[in-house]
Formats: sequence, structure tokens, C-alpha cells
Amino acid sequence: MPGKSVPSAQPIQADLTRKVAALARLELSDAEVSSFTKQLAQVLEYVGQLQQADVSGVEPLGSPVELQEGGVMRDDEARPSPTSADGKPKVLSSAPEVMLDGFKVPPIL
Amino acid sequence: MARFGSIRELHDAYDAKKASPVEVTRDYLAAIRGSGINAFLTVTEQRALVQAKAAEEILSREGKVPRQKFPLLGVPMGIKDALTIDGVRTTAGSRMLENYLPPYTATCVQRLEAAGMIMLGKLNMDEFAMGGSNENSAFGPVLHPTHPDRVPGGSSGGSAAAVGADLCLASLGSDTGGSIRLPASYCGISGMKPTYGRVSRSGLVAFASSLDQVGPMARTIEDCAIVLDAMSGHDPLDGTSAQRGPMRAREAVAEGLELRGLRIGIPEEFFAAGMQPEVESAAREALRWYESQGAKLVPIRLPNSGYAVSVYYVVAVSEASSNLARYDGVRYGFRASGVEGDLTEFYKKARAAFGPEVKRRIILGTFALSAGYAEAYYLRACQVRRLIRRDFDEAFKSVDLIAGPVAPTTAFRLGEKVQDPLQMYLNDLYTIPANLAGLPALSVPCGMDSAGLPIGLQLLAPAFADEKLLAAAHRFERREVR
Repeated sequence: MPGKSVPSAQPIQADLTRKVAALARLELSDAEVSSFTKQLAQVLEYVGQLQQADVSGVEPLGSPVELQEGGVMRDDEARPSPTSADGKPKVLSSAPEVMLDGFKVPPIL
Repeated sequence: MARFGSIRELHDAYDAKKASPVEVTRDYLAAIRGSGINAFLTVTEQRALVQAKAAEEILSREGKVPRQKFPLLGVPMGIKDALTIDGVRTTAGSRMLENYLPPYTATCVQRLEAAGMIMLGKLNMDEFAMGGSNENSAFGPVLHPTHPDRVPGGSSGGSAAAVGADLCLASLGSDTGGSIRLPASYCGISGMKPTYGRVSRSGLVAFASSLDQVGPMARTIEDCAIVLDAMSGHDPLDGTSAQRGPMRAREAVAEGLELRGLRIGIPEEFFAAGMQPEVESAAREALRWYESQGAKLVPIRLPNSGYAVSVYYVVAVSEASSNLARYDGVRYGFRASGVEGDLTEFYKKARAAFGPEVKRRIILGTFALSAGYAEAYYLRACQVRRLIRRDFDEAFKSVDLIAGPVAPTTAFRLGEKVQDPLQMYLNDLYTIPANLAGLPALSVPCGMDSAGLPIGLQLLAPAFADEKLLAAAHRFERREVR
């Protein structure tokens, strides 16, 4: 399926900003939608220059780590989880709401 | 006049019993209390004094500072608030982590503490390291150390200003697109971003994982070298950590670098139109000094570097959108009270704690990775990233180092650029390429403009030539010493 064309000719609409914000679980006020849409359009117009680069046959470079020797993998080894002075797992200590040894959240539906 | 000009000076004073770690620590802590520049977000007074006492015990036992074993003994430092400290508030400059107490200490900080460092506190920064002026902090801007109407640069603004204002002898910053080098340049101190993978990122609050690096900021290049030696080297907790031992930069600096015949590449693209004339002339004067010592200045081209800002503002924001997905209010961080509704509502209300620049970048990154746009934006940006790295590989076939300015101007005024995100982004055009390519780069002071604002010279080296880079910068820094 062909990708959508770079919308350099069409300005970014508020609709798209709202959709993307929803994907990122961000709540934006109407004022924010308006100002972000304008700013996003400016940035996207600028980065549209990347379309001019000749990238035929060029492998994407995701990270300089790909250029390092040795791999990034090591064996998984289970280690004891750090605990607080009271013996509880430290990982729970910053949780706003804890139940037994889990993080408490509202229902999904 | 700074209390101490360098770690060496401090250690000489300890050896001569002219100063003691506890005294020195109290002195810096008092300076921090009296300072109005908002560099420190958290002051770890008790911890610092405990560390100072421990340093004194070692000193009295050994007679002199054991500089090999404890290269940072009794050295008061500040740590950018993007680095976790077990049980010490770590905010990353954000309301999202306003009261966050990490369950572990960043590897690089652990290593510095093991080397004898005294931690004075956590330093202010742009929120989640997103910014170039420290105006994006949820806890107020940092003021420039000598010109309080100006920004110190960012995102490691607190780290730079604290050293510049003599509130600590050295600091740690982090650099994703220039966030060590830019504030170092604006504040008139030295700062270095090492080769990607040379310093562990374990404990660094992630912004863009393929770009972030921790680095030193200090009054001298030798001090940067000392800090790097102490904290660099492979860390199994960081999957991107290079399979190498610690640097031997102090040794390289002391050995000296032969400048005769050293080939320094001057990219045409690093002297673009629109630079502040005094910045350009200071940089060129610095390069003429190298030439006077026998170095060869070689004009080079980095033809794809004009795309660097675009690549960065696709790649970095994409990675950020992914890295910041963890801030959902469930396990740590801001959680809104009394939320009605389901988990999605819960997430949205928690994530309201992000500031506008962070939201902007998350939206940009989410867009660039979304179905139908990812090829045109993220993938293409990664392809151009490889072109940028190839330009450097090609250039380094005929030169040993690359030089240019750090930024197009000196420190600008508070509020001057906040209205225009794109303007702010363009400020990073000279620093971003080194992050994209994973190469080591530093800023060393090379003058001031007519308003007395500092100017930094940027030097870059091939991957893993960090020691040589520092040695070259050290020669320049010490140029007036006979």
C-alpha cells in the first residue's frame, strides 16, 4: 500500500493534530490545537527538504550503535530486585497507588 | 576570580593543607544558597558533607590526594537533573517528575562518587532535555552567570551556569543535539559530548536514545578529561555501551598533541551566512592559532549537513515520542487526582503534566512514526542520517579533526526566541551533526564578543578519538602559557 504523500502542498489541519494527539494520549485545548497546528506546519514544511536528498540504495541508520563492534545483546540473567528498607520492592515506592505487589489503575473499559 | 581554577589547583591546595574538603564544600554550598541564577533544583547538603568528611579521612590517612586511585577526591560537582540518584529527587526539569525518587543511581554518577566526587546537588535543565536555552524548565529559567538578562543555553543550562558562576568546580550535562556544547559556549566554559557509547546512559532519563550522551562540563579541558576517565567505559546495563574500557584522556592531555602537521578540516557549511560576525572572527582567529603552531587548515565539505536540523527534528522527536510513552502516571510520576473515566482518560490527565515544548515534540514524533507517514519522514530521515555520517567518514580520510563555531551567535536574551520554535531549532545547526554521526565533539572558550559574552570553538574527531580531541583542545586552551 503506497504511503501517504508528504503534505508539503497541503497545510496540516487541526484534525490531524487532534488525531495524532489522541494517539499519544495527550489532551490539547482548542487553543493548543490551533497553535500547535500552525507550529507543526512550519516545522514539517522545513523538514520537507529531506525529500530532495538522494537516498536511493541508502540503508537507514537508526543508531550509531550499529556501527560499533561487538553486539548489543547479552544473556538475560535474573538478579534480585532492589528493595527498600521496609523490604518492599523499590520499584513500587514511587507508585501513586499500590495494591499488594501491583500498580493500581482505573478499569480499561 | 574563581575559588579554584581547576581540579589540579584544588588538589594542590588539599595537598598543601591550604584547604580542606569540608571547608570547600561548605563554601560552595553557601555560594549556591546566595545565588540567584536558579542553577540548582535540589541541593544535597547532607550527602555532600558526608562525602566531604569521607574525603578528609582519606586525605589524613594518605597524607596527599591519591590522584590515581581517587581522581575526583573532594571535587564538588553538580549533576544535571536528567541523571537518577537513588532516593534523591530527580525531575528532568519536568512537573511530570516533580517529586520522583529514583530507585537507582546512574552508572556514570556511581563511578564519579567512587572516584571521590562530592555531589552538591541536581542542576536545572530544559524539560526532558528539550530546549536550547533552559527556558523550558518547569522550575523557572536559569540565568546566564555573568549577564542575568541572557540565557545560559540549554538543555544543560544549570550545569553550564553553575560552573560559570563558580557554584561547583565541574558538572555533568547531557547532549542530544548540542545540549552540553551550546551552554558551555554561551557560558564561557568547556564541555564535551563523547563518542556515542563511551559513557553509559543507564540512569540518564531518556530523550532520544540514539543521540543522548552524558558528558563533563568544567573550567578546563583537563578537568573534562579527568571526569571522562572516571566515568567512561563499558556498562552491561546499557545495551549501546561500547565494548571498550575507560578513556585515558588525562594521560593524552598531559602527553601533549603534536600540532605540526595536524590536519584540521574547516567545513564550508559550518560558516554559513547569518553568523554573528564576532563569533565567526573569534573562531577563525582560533584556527589561525592552530595554523601558527604548524597545523594545516583544510577546507572540506559536509554536503549533507544542511539536512542535519531536519533529520534531527524527525529522528529525535520520533524517539522522544516513544521514550516518553512511559510517563503514564501508573508506576511513577504525576498522576491527576479524582479522574473520572477509563484508563485512556487517566493517561491523558497524567500526561497533562508535560510542558508545551515536550507536547509539541511528542506530537511531531508520533506523526513522523505514524502509519502512512513513517516512510516519508522517519525512514527517510534515517537514510539521510547515514549520508551525514558518510560525509564525516569521507572527510576524516583527509583530516584529523574538524573545527567550526558551536553556535551562530552568543547568548541571546531571555524570551527572545520562545515564540518561534523553528528559530530555536535552527540554533543547533552546528552541533546536531556530531550527535547524528555519533562522533565526539567539544566546545572550548575562544573569546568574547563586544558585550562580553563568551564564544566557543567546536572541535570534532572521528569515533573513539576522544582522547586526541581533548589533547588538541588542551593545547589551544593553554596557548598563552609558556
